[in-house]
Order: sequence, then C-alpha cells, then structure tokens
Amino acid sequence: MSHWDAVAIVIDLVLVLGLTGFFANANRLLGPHPVHEGDADIPFETGERPIDSAADKMSVLYHRFAVLFVVFDVDLAFLMPWALCRGSLTGTLVVSMTVFTGLLFFMLAYFWRKGVLECR
Amino acid sequence: MSAAVLGGLLAPQMVLAAGVLGVLGAGMAAFNPKFIKSLMILAILGAFALAFGARPGAGDALIGLDGLGFSWQLVFYAAALPLAFLMAAESEVAPALVLGSLLGLGLLAVSANLLMLFIGLELMSLPAYLLVARSRGGAQNSVEAAIKYFFVGGAAGGLYLLGLALYYFTQKTMAFAGAASLGAQAGVALMGSAALFKVGAFPLHFWLPDVYEASDPELTGFLSTALKAGGILLLMRLAALSPAGPFARALPWFGAATMLFGAVLALRQERLQRLLAYSSMAHAGNIVLGVGAWAALGATPGAAVAVFFYLAAYLFMNNGAFSFLKASGAKTRADLRGLGARSPETASAFAILLLALGGVPPTAGFLAKLLIFWEAFKAHLYAPLLLAALGALLALGYYLALLKDLYFEDAPAAAPQLETGSGLAVLWTCAVPAAVLGVAPWILTYMSRLLAL
Repeated sequence: MSHWDAVAIVIDLVLVLGLTGFFANANRLLGPHPVHEGDADIPFETGERPIDSAADKMSVLYHRFAVLFVVFDVDLAFLMPWALCRGSLTGTLVVSMTVFTGLLFFMLAYFWRKGVLECR
Repeated sequence: MSAAVLGGLLAPQMVLAAGVLGVLGAGMAAFNPKFIKSLMILAILGAFALAFGARPGAGDALIGLDGLGFSWQLVFYAAALPLAFLMAAESEVAPALVLGSLLGLGLLAVSANLLMLFIGLELMSLPAYLLVARSRGGAQNSVEAAIKYFFVGGAAGGLYLLGLALYYFTQKTMAFAGAASLGAQAGVALMGSAALFKVGAFPLHFWLPDVYEASDPELTGFLSTALKAGGILLLMRLAALSPAGPFARALPWFGAATMLFGAVLALRQERLQRLLAYSSMAHAGNIVLGVGAWAALGATPGAAVAVFFYLAAYLFMNNGAFSFLKASGAKTRADLRGLGARSPETASAFAILLLALGGVPPTAGFLAKLLIFWEAFKAHLYAPLLLAALGALLALGYYLALLKDLYFEDAPAAAPQLETGSGLAVLWTCAVPAAVLGVAPWILTYMSRLLAL
C-alpha cells in the first residue's frame, strides 16, 4: 500500500462525513420552513390522536421469542455452507455439525425447561 | 480444527465448555445451587490444571500456544477462583456466565490469528455485561452500569473489526504478520484502541468507575484482574505486530496518563469500591507502561516477565481487596474507622493488601512496580517513567489514608456491625502471596521459564 492509499482513505472519510452531514441537514438548509401550528407536530397515526407519549414503557411479552428467534436463526445460518458441501463431507465435519446441532437442541430444551417459551 | 488440537491445546477450553453445559444441565434438572457452584469451581480448577500441564506448540492456522498465552491462561483461571468461591449460590445462570467468560479468556490465550482474538474478546465480554447487570451488592444501579458497559464494549468491538478490516485489506492475511504499511499500522492502532477500552486506559476509561462500583465486590475483583489481563494480552499481541510502530510507541504515554489520572481521582473518593476502581485504573496504567516498555525492547515473549509478574501480584492484591469488601461489608471510608480494634484479623489482612497495592517495599506490589519502572528505564522512556512514578507517589496517599482510617481513627459512636467470616479464608489466601511474593526472587526465574516455554 502506498501513501496514495492513505490519501484515498482520507478522501473517503471526508466524502462520508460530508455527504452524511449534508443529507442529514439538507432539509433544514434547503427545504421550506412552514409555520408549525395546530396538529402539525403530532405523530400521524391513521388520523387518530396519540393516546400517550411514545417514550412510555410498555410490556413486550414477545421480546424473548424475538431474541430466541434471532439466536437460532443466526445459528442455523451456519448449517447452510455445511449443507452445500454435502458431497464431500468427511467424518470430522459430520461429527462437528452433529455436536453443534445437539448444542442447539440442548439450549432449546434449557429454555423450555426454564419457562422462557411460555407467554405470560 | 483437528481432534488433536481440540484435545491438546484446547483441552482447558473444552473443560470450560463442558462446564458451561454441565452447569446449565444441572440447573435444568433443578439441582442444589451449592452443587452447581462446586461444579463451576471444579471446572475452573480442572481448566487450570490442564492449562498448567499443556505444553506450548503450534496448532493450526487459528490456534497456537506460546509462552505468553500459556502464562496468561494461568492468570485468567486463577483470577476467577476468588469470584467462584465468594459468589452467592443462587442459580445456574451466574456460574454458566463466569465459565463462559473464562472460555473467552482461554480462547484469547490460544489465538494465533486476529479473528480468533476477536472471538475471544467478545466471548469474554458478553457474559461480563450480564454478570454486571445481575449484581445486587453494588452501590449503584447495576442495570444502568451494565448498559453503559455494553455500549462501550460494543463500540470497542466495532473499532476492533474496523481495524481488522483495514489490516486485512493491506496485509491480505489475518495471521500475526507484522504491519509493514501505513494502512496496517492504522489497523493496528484501531484494534489497539479497542484493547485500551477493555483495559480502561486514560481517554477510554469513562465506563470503568461506574461499572466497577455497580458490581458485586467479588465480581469487580474478577473484572479488574481476569478481564483486564485479557485486555493486556490483546494489547501485547497487537503491540508485537509492530513493536516500533506508532501505536506501540504511544503506549507508555497512555500508561503514564492512566496512572496519573486514576491516582488523582482516587484521592478524593469516599466510597471504597469507587476508590478501588480508580486505583485499579492506576494499576492498569502501570501495566500499559510496562507493555509499552516491553514493545520498545523488542516484544519477545520471554521478556514479558515484568508485565506477567505485575499481573500475578495484582491478581492477589486486588482480589484480596475486593474480597475484604465482600467479607466486611464495608461501603465507605467511614465504615473502616476503628476496624483495626474491632476485628483485628480482617483489618490486618486488608492492611497488608493496602501496603502491597501501594507498593511499599517488602511486598509483591513493590517488586511489581520496580520491575515495570526498570523496564521503562531500560527502554529509555524517561518522561513517562517520571509521570508514572509521580502517580505511584500520589497513589500511596490514598492507600495510607485508608490505613489511617483502619488504625488511627476512633470508631464512630454507632459503629456499623460488620459481617466477617465468610470471605476470611479467601482474604488471607490473597493477602499472604501479596506480602511474600515480593521477597521470593526465584519466582521471577520461574516465570521467565514459563514465558520462554
């Protein structure tokens, strides 16, 4: 890598910061400046007035499922490349992927036993 | 990864992974929490024994063990034992998290590749966030501190990956292959700043006092010894990529600044855990200075005795200090007043630890500081050395102030009843080595033998 690459990095940095700064503020700089009055500042939700502030806490019962879904989904992504080389699977590969899948099942059993899967 | 690597170099890590599964399985079967806790202790002891029996060697492209990784692995597992013994036996969650964090530290030690280092880094940190969030014994809102820790740790991970991408772009490899070009140097600096985050070095330390204060005392001991040793190992691996590069040359200055900053801020603290948090920052500064000197002297693994000895001594000193907080239940400096008269055996152990932390001559802390300063002197780092020495002098101020509270102040009329006994064994187990390691020079010979394995 020559010093020109460093220059390229700096140019890239300037472009990234400049463009994001511009786009983030373009509306304020170039857009019209309407007068805010009445309902204009209230979040629009199918014509209804909002009941509460959006920053209030609320109970989300399904967040655990969402987290579990992400975990198992990402783990299963590892099975994809493994399945693609099914023609040339050696013993070690089969054993390691069996262990991996077994661990997934173990964790699922653990969550089940701990009541994580119950919607309360 | 072949079976030989898994059963050989990775044997301690396999034991820890089996420990995680065993602990979770025992929790699933609703076993007694005390049994689960002893299962965790067994796994840690087993990992320590296997790590001690392992012989360094090359594994494959990702895994390899050198003297540095070998020695650090011993520090990691030993540093987890006070936490393992002192933590409350409640459920299987905390033991599984501790073992998971140790597994990450173990992977860090055997990594022969920058990508494996990242996996180790994340695996050691993620359980730590949860452990902090689960703490109930700290002085502050632990969830808030854990979220702060999580975001800072996430940012550090992102910096590391950015640096790794830059490194890979220029070096076309993720192995430890030096840093020949400007881009690779920038990559090393970015990855190194992630390591400085983990260590809590000066401009990147802001998360540290809150997290250390919000955690249970014994957990803070673990965070400040085991996880910090992990960050230091990462720092050394990165500094060794280009020992004469700009990042390695900046390290002594980071160390001196951290040392001074931690010492100055610790002076005015009333709450003990926050005081010890800043004190651990000051110690981290010393170690970073040592890493800088080590890099300036050529970054050979066998020459890392000063840093290794400091970490080993610090393991005993700091875990001991935090197990004192756990055993005595003392929260503020006012709680310490007159403790020397009320419970002499607890107070004397803490006094030994304070002297060692302050670096008073016959203790391990003195020898540790001396070795680091001598390395810095040999590397001609005079200005950072002077600043660090000034910091060490300042640090003596607050340790001696605590000693004064222990012995030369009368107990307030309504002295809080301190609970003693539970952690006394751990406290003395830490206090004795902290006192005698400094007068056992053969330990240095032994340590350099381990490092040169």
